[in-house]
Amino acid sequence: MSTSNISRRNFLRAAGLTGTALFVGLYFSSNAEEAKLATADSAMASDIEMNAWIHIDTNGKVTIFSHRAEMGQGAYQSVPQIVAEELEVNLKDINIRFAQGNREKYGNQVTGGSSTIRGSYKNLLKLGASARVMLISAAAAKWSVPTSECYAQSGHVLHRPSGKKFHYGELVEAASKLEAPKDIVLKNRSDYKLIGKPLARLDTPLKTNGVAVFGLDFKLPGMLYAVVERNPRLRGKLKSFDASAALKVPGVKKVFKIQTGVFQTFRDGVAVVADSTWAAIQGRKALTIEWDDTGFDHVNTADIYKKQNELINNEEGLSARKQGDPDSILSAATQKLDVVYETPYQSHSAMEPLNCVAFYQADKLEIWGPIQAPEWVQDYICAQFKLPKEKVIVNMTFLGGGFGRKAFMDYPHEACLISKETGTPVQVVWTREDDMTQGPYRAGITYRCQGAIQDGQISALKFRMAGQNIGHWQGAPKDKPNRSTTEGFLAPYYKSIQHISFSDIPFETPIPNVWWRSVYASTNGFAFESLLNEMAHLAKKDPLDFRRAYLREEREQKLIDKLEEVSGWKSKKNGDGFGVAITECFSTTVGQIVKVSRKADGKIRIDQVWAVVDCGWYVNPDIIHAQVEGSVLMALGAATTHQITFKDGLVEQRNFYNYPMPRINDMPLLEVHIMENDANAGGVGEPGLPPFAPALTAAIFDLTGKRIRKLPFDMSNI
Amino acid sequence: MITITVNGKQHQVDADPNMPLLWVIRDVIGLTGTKYGCGVAQCGACVVHLNGDAVRSCVTKLSRAAGQQVITIEGLSENNNHPAQVAWNEENVPQCGYCHSGQIMSAAVLLKENSNPSDADIDSAMAGNICRCGTYQRIRKAIHLAAELQRKEAASK
Amino acid sequence: MKHQIKIPVKAFAVVSVLLMTVGIMAFALHSDDKKSKVHASMLPVVKKDSIASVKAFKQVYTVLTSARCMNCHPSGNIPLQGDDSHLHTMSPQRGIDGKGVYAMKCSNCHQPTNTPGLHTPPGNPNWHLPPANMKMVFQGRTPRQLAEQLIDPKQNGHKDLKKLIEHADDGLVLSGWNPGEGRKLPPMSHAAFKKAWITWLTTGAYAPKGK
Repeated sequence: MSTSNISRRNFLRAAGLTGTALFVGLYFSSNAEEAKLATADSAMASDIEMNAWIHIDTNGKVTIFSHRAEMGQGAYQSVPQIVAEELEVNLKDINIRFAQGNREKYGNQVTGGSSTIRGSYKNLLKLGASARVMLISAAAAKWSVPTSECYAQSGHVLHRPSGKKFHYGELVEAASKLEAPKDIVLKNRSDYKLIGKPLARLDTPLKTNGVAVFGLDFKLPGMLYAVVERNPRLRGKLKSFDASAALKVPGVKKVFKIQTGVFQTFRDGVAVVADSTWAAIQGRKALTIEWDDTGFDHVNTADIYKKQNELINNEEGLSARKQGDPDSILSAATQKLDVVYETPYQSHSAMEPLNCVAFYQADKLEIWGPIQAPEWVQDYICAQFKLPKEKVIVNMTFLGGGFGRKAFMDYPHEACLISKETGTPVQVVWTREDDMTQGPYRAGITYRCQGAIQDGQISALKFRMAGQNIGHWQGAPKDKPNRSTTEGFLAPYYKSIQHISFSDIPFETPIPNVWWRSVYASTNGFAFESLLNEMAHLAKKDPLDFRRAYLREEREQKLIDKLEEVSGWKSKKNGDGFGVAITECFSTTVGQIVKVSRKADGKIRIDQVWAVVDCGWYVNPDIIHAQVEGSVLMALGAATTHQITFKDGLVEQRNFYNYPMPRINDMPLLEVHIMENDANAGGVGEPGLPPFAPALTAAIFDLTGKRIRKLPFDMSNI
Repeated sequence: MITITVNGKQHQVDADPNMPLLWVIRDVIGLTGTKYGCGVAQCGACVVHLNGDAVRSCVTKLSRAAGQQVITIEGLSENNNHPAQVAWNEENVPQCGYCHSGQIMSAAVLLKENSNPSDADIDSAMAGNICRCGTYQRIRKAIHLAAELQRKEAASK
Repeated sequence: MKHQIKIPVKAFAVVSVLLMTVGIMAFALHSDDKKSKVHASMLPVVKKDSIASVKAFKQVYTVLTSARCMNCHPSGNIPLQGDDSHLHTMSPQRGIDGKGVYAMKCSNCHQPTNTPGLHTPPGNPNWHLPPANMKMVFQGRTPRQLAEQLIDPKQNGHKDLKKLIEHADDGLVLSGWNPGEGRKLPPMSHAAFKKAWITWLTTGAYAPKGK
């Protein structure tokens, strides 16, 4: 593999944390998909400070920066694993640091859409390789030998004929004066020492002895702690409050009103600042508050679904994608299905509740927190406080889970507002109850799915969805369909089925919503794949063979073969229920087979889950396994144990006692298989989630003949 | 002033005796390995050892710990080398990692009281600790491995 | 938002009086169960009165099978929880001594006193289930079964009449009337329960007819 699109102008510069150092960075011009290697010259010329992924000091210590948030998905490991491969350094010899948020420096840092690897790996490979090439050139020049006689290994450049070697630190100064290579030859995949290997994560030791600093663990000298009583109806306003009792609570320093941005609206709250989290919580309990809850609907869950049901039965909605004429086919068909699937609102409920530290000073505003989207936070805070970008510094800590919720700006905004008021560093802490009752949530979507069978074949599919559109909260035009309407649907179906349509019937409530792991695929997948399973049954076909007939591309065929092989699908025994589903999102296809059976206590349990992942090129198979394990468990909870409901505008769930999470004894046995091919890398953090619920309900149908079309459902009562 | 011993070190704490041990450890003493997850003893992120038992520090008042021995994740071993910690690393258990201080502290009590836990024993000991990332399958493997490491260690002595 | 619940602590003067005056009298449990009769001599009776006894037991039964009592007297090895007596979340196990196992011992969450707030662990210094060798199951017991079990020392923790009467004032029993915020109280006051309890026991501890 050879590449030559690294800019000639680009170069290295000497600088450093400890004396002379080699910085190699990528420069993303704002609209370029391809990154360019930054140089000191070009950086200065365009007045952009050079950014750095790689820092090598004169002692040979290599520091690799991770530009993305680490929230469990493994970016902290996999970004350096890619760079280190081409740089030829051992992972045990490097430092890893989180980069600060800065779009100009790092390009897109939003850790979402399972995009870290698939969005950056090609550039990261080049970045590591170009540094390696320069270090080799520097060594060759010192020895006065051809570069072809030199090679890099384990942080050293070696001269093959003589056996002489330099460690990288000895070459930094010379390398920094060289021009960046024009053409970089990347390693062959078969020569990889790190990539593709199930290497141990470098953050694991930090997470087994309490050393890893999560947002909630970040402390500054003189830092105060704040909690905020927010209107429990999300959109209500503050009428009045009495802080006198709160201020008498020992440790409480200050109580004041704040208004935090939630999309284009503001959420009213009363902040209580104290010298410990506990004192702040006690002070908050002593507040007397009057809210103004007029001017918006006080929603009830039953009303939301009643309305969504009316919409899908009476409206066509905004056409998101259409081929052929499914309506005509459906109306003429004799064998057809017309079913409704319902999915619930869900909370992200990461184990680390929301929190953020801010320190508002005269010359700068600095933020530290569990943040998925540092540059969005920077943009938002700059706009809110009318500050230039250089004065707003956003630092990422480890995230104790994110799942989409921590790519949102409200809690950093709160921390900044409070710090500005107190003049001290402040950590705002959301209690679990705050985290669960304040949203934003994954929206609960209702689907109407229709399908026609002719001569045992699918002749038409029609999907309509009614529910809230995340985009509307962010200003997307309301006369355009939700662009995620088809998310989760497998592209090969478009080739094999002539008549397909998708439409979206937007429905608005005062409840804000935001992406949740696998976003719309998390609910779409249940509808699409449940319909496919129901159609297979109608056509009297085996659900796996049925899919095989429509998913005719090579990758899908191989994935189906693998599913069949590993699960023993064809050797099903009496009393086993098997179900399958396959979805695609973020450029990765995942198929899952779930096996259930009825146990001696009369209850149905999951015996095993098999997942087959086709994500193309990949970095660390163990992390892929882990992400699928996590996705399946999260899907299990969302399908069978918890949901967010509303009553009179209030969220009914407050903590894990009424939003119960699956526990260790609920975890099904799970086997993960990864397909091997050289296709472009797909995402792995999310695509393992959508197929689980439809595969589970299909397995239950296979065992009992009972169709489950509404999530969540009670596994213990089927 | 209330005296508590955390990881072998005595602390004179000037705090409300009703303050949960969790916040004393985190905000007053400044050890942040012990996590806040729910505040109502539902999730286990805050588990510490109080005289050897895996108490949930979010509902344990400072007054209960007065004069007692508290061990947090930071004090579980000298060098990240408690059998559970070794096994957690070996099996690549953590994802986000937030719950694992509590998971490991719970597992340590199981391993202390049962040198060869079955899967059912693991369920009995660990069902109080929530992991949202879904590392349960690996926790189970790691506990079996830790038990094996512990038995080998004991045999070599 | 605190709900203070007053515990009726008035000791029943009548208890001590009864204990002094009752003699060892013939066992009068109305039962065909031969096993029960073995322990007849252990049950002193003031005055046999099957009607008053059964009537009192019916009241006792409503208390013992209310969530506050039954939740810690489950039929399985996992306690029950909540006013609807669902299986305790996170499946804590009874253990040999009734105090839980490993990292899931009762006192790891259940503190010496109630934790403030809704859905927080209620507290008692002696929080436990009956031990594994004396499970004293209330859940699923008919009135007759429960009555017979309660006065059978082999099933009641080797309690004689005196100890049974004393048990009404046991700290953990009393905590049923101080269950923490948001939890339903037993269907009658502790005083009324204790009165019914003693009446039942001292009028012959008759078990209601039926199964």
